[in-house]
Amino acid sequence: MPAFTLNVNGSGHLVDADPDMPLLWALRDFLRLTGTKYGCGMGVCGACTVHEDGIPMRSCQLPLSATVGKNYVTIEGLSPHGDHPCQQAWLAEDVSQCGYCQVGMIMEAAALIRRKPNPTDADIDADLSDHICRCGTYQRMRRAIHRAAREVHKT
Amino acid sequence: MRTTRRSFLKTSLKTSVFAGTGLALCFELPRSVAVDEPVTFEPNAYISITPDNVVRLWITRSEMGQGVRTTLPMMLAEELSADWSQIEYMQAMPGGRFKGIRLRTSGSGSTVGTYDALRKAGATARQMLIAAAAERWRVDASSCRADQGSVVHLGTGRKLSYGNLAAAAARQRVPDNPPLKNPKDFRIIGKPLKRIDGNGIVTGRAVYGIDVHVPGMLHAVMARCPCVGGKVASFDATKSLSVDGVRHVVPVKSGLATGVAIVADYTWAAMKGRDALKVEWDHGPNANFDSDHFLTQMQDQLAQPQDGYFVRDDGDARKALGSAAKKLEATYEFPFQAHAPVEPMNCVADVRKDSCEIWAPTQCPEVVLSETAKMLGLPEDSVKVHITLLGGGFGRRLFADYVPEAVEVSRAIGKPVQMLWTRSDDMRCGFFHPSDVQHIAGGFDAARHPIAWVQRSIGSDLSMFGFPTEEQKKNSRHYFENGLPWGSFDNPYNFPNLKADFIPLNSPVPTGPWRAVFYPPTVFARESFLDEMAHTAGQDPLEFRLRLLEPGSVLNVGDAKIDRSRLIRILQVAAEKSGWKRPLEQTGDRLWGRGVACNVYDEDCFIAQVAEVSVGRQSRDIRVHRIVCAADCGIVVNPLGLEGQAESGITWGLSATLHGRIDFKNGAAVQENFQDFEVIRMDEAPEIETQIVVTDHPPGGFGETAVPPVAPAVANAIFAATGKRIRSLPITPEKLKALA
Repeated sequence: MPAFTLNVNGSGHLVDADPDMPLLWALRDFLRLTGTKYGCGMGVCGACTVHEDGIPMRSCQLPLSATVGKNYVTIEGLSPHGDHPCQQAWLAEDVSQCGYCQVGMIMEAAALIRRKPNPTDADIDADLSDHICRCGTYQRMRRAIHRAAREVHKT
Repeated sequence: MRTTRRSFLKTSLKTSVFAGTGLALCFELPRSVAVDEPVTFEPNAYISITPDNVVRLWITRSEMGQGVRTTLPMMLAEELSADWSQIEYMQAMPGGRFKGIRLRTSGSGSTVGTYDALRKAGATARQMLIAAAAERWRVDASSCRADQGSVVHLGTGRKLSYGNLAAAAARQRVPDNPPLKNPKDFRIIGKPLKRIDGNGIVTGRAVYGIDVHVPGMLHAVMARCPCVGGKVASFDATKSLSVDGVRHVVPVKSGLATGVAIVADYTWAAMKGRDALKVEWDHGPNANFDSDHFLTQMQDQLAQPQDGYFVRDDGDARKALGSAAKKLEATYEFPFQAHAPVEPMNCVADVRKDSCEIWAPTQCPEVVLSETAKMLGLPEDSVKVHITLLGGGFGRRLFADYVPEAVEVSRAIGKPVQMLWTRSDDMRCGFFHPSDVQHIAGGFDAARHPIAWVQRSIGSDLSMFGFPTEEQKKNSRHYFENGLPWGSFDNPYNFPNLKADFIPLNSPVPTGPWRAVFYPPTVFARESFLDEMAHTAGQDPLEFRLRLLEPGSVLNVGDAKIDRSRLIRILQVAAEKSGWKRPLEQTGDRLWGRGVACNVYDEDCFIAQVAEVSVGRQSRDIRVHRIVCAADCGIVVNPLGLEGQAESGITWGLSATLHGRIDFKNGAAVQENFQDFEVIRMDEAPEIETQIVVTDHPPGGFGETAVPPVAPAVANAIFAATGKRIRSLPITPEKLKALA
């Protein structure tokens, strides 16, 4: 099988696997970066969201063959000490319940506030509605995103 | 003894063995040791305090989002007078140290079921720590006080940390009845505290079942017969085994949805191997099952003249209905529903010659332990069950069907294995909330006073869940004693003539508890029909309810005692907070309306909700803008957590109200993933305002309480907006258009 060099969280990893294998399973089973979650396998729940060159993508829909030359960031690499403004805002608003979907939500939200430093509710709806939280933490998430955006402005 | 319905969820699985109250304490007796030997103080299973001052508290429930890893330590820490910032939490495991202590997580019972035991456990430790300090200082224990993780001598201000006292405390006698704090002195219980384990979640370090990895572990997925009750007729593993990374192909006969496991070095190879498998299915006896046809079968039972199982019979409802000046009747339908937690079912099993180790996201670890031991012919002491975080439970993980699959495969291949269900497996091959039909007839006297109520419930009795047994079914009183179906049986309204009966009609679909179990369909019907009666009587729906709830009266039904005054107060709070009396402004292209619904969950949780919706005049699209929720469930341990459960339950209920349904065609579930089983997402999530009314009643459970009123509150609001009544879930624009 061909070997792929995956650039994840600033370092290169050699993965010897099927070119069709989604990045999700390379992250989880080969790199043991299990913060990125499997939820649906068809890009409709958002649990597997990672950044590809800064853009939020569904890693369950990215075959290894499409990852060549790209840089990926997972939740493990989002911030050096787990203190990205979104992560801090999530704690401040006590968002998480079961928490399984939250990593995907945070990755989406982090990309949103980088792109739009003052996201409106409509912006949040547009980007976060590709995700599912079965515990229904949506309004706390909304508050957390606004809070994170405010924190970014302060610094 | 608490109500039978809660004990139902406690004990109905025949394989589960519980001590009942969870009050068993004192596992490790104080040891005889030299004075200065470093000893960890463990007065009971829940608490250990090390000489270096680490206070560890054990979590005797599964964390699935309801916040037990925070709430349970709050109760312990309160009575222990611990420093909240100092504590560490540990997940309990079934057996061993926790033998005889309930770990099963169900029935919104985690707070209710542990409140007394955990307070006592904390108070026990506190008294022993105080005694140790008093001994050290040679003073009377009454002159010492425990505060923030230390004992202080009031006279001199001397102070020793719990860690300093650990060894001496371990030598103290364990008190039988340590004094509990007066609730007015609580410093932790009642405070809005954030999740203790939030950091692991937001950094991706939290370990769910799916994240477990043990050395040498292989990954498995299964090909399963899509038909309920089907099995493998034959298979050819050749092509699967030729997929790179696939190691084994193993037929699996245990569990619920049997089939063929593909075992590989990594998940994707197992999935590819599954796609490549040549398999013929024996679709079994249910290959023609159709949920639409089943709905018709349930509706056919409506006309059955003889009574079903009585669950309630006050006055003479049939006679009152016969002589009523005005009579009204309606039928309500509830479809099959999937739990669809975002983390699909999974389990890691490592079967050795004389032992077995399991890692599972489970709500029923005792069952996992006993069933695994039985399956392998091992003593229970040789089986270890690790409870991981659960990526949602909602009742689905009260079944451990995914565990024996992993055990069977691990035993067959002699290696540890992770069994992973794909989303499609999870959506189609698990347990479902049963589809139900409710029929209600109501009667008024000549002055339009409501005088009669007859509710008939038709549907599954959750016999897949082991309740009731065939033997119990022969005795109709059994239904009464268990209050089945909840919501109809414990109808809180004061009708002089009220009858409720139940006709079990089981489909081949495996059914089980879904968040709020029986309440959602019965309460959808009950609260919708009350609205219909109110409109018929020309009364405000909220006033109509209040008139039917006599202040100061207590409803005694079965083992339940329902204090109607608490429900009245909650309805009034919801009305006030929602601005019930203020008319909503109608806009050009949308019709606006408010609806109210309420419920009493398991006799001790009172909830009312007011939904504010708008419906497109032409498009008939439905938007739920705001839900105001008022609740009284007695003493609240963590108000922030309780608000979260209100938000969560409402969103869950709204998913079922506007989208959720599983249809069966040719014996198989039609919906396979979140693109056809839709749930509420960010853009549809309403504003939720929760008003908690704290009373001094013992705490009630709140994990499920907020679910049942959502559908009727929304349906009633849609009626207020449009004059159209939708009596079947989900409520869709298409159904509204069909009525136009």
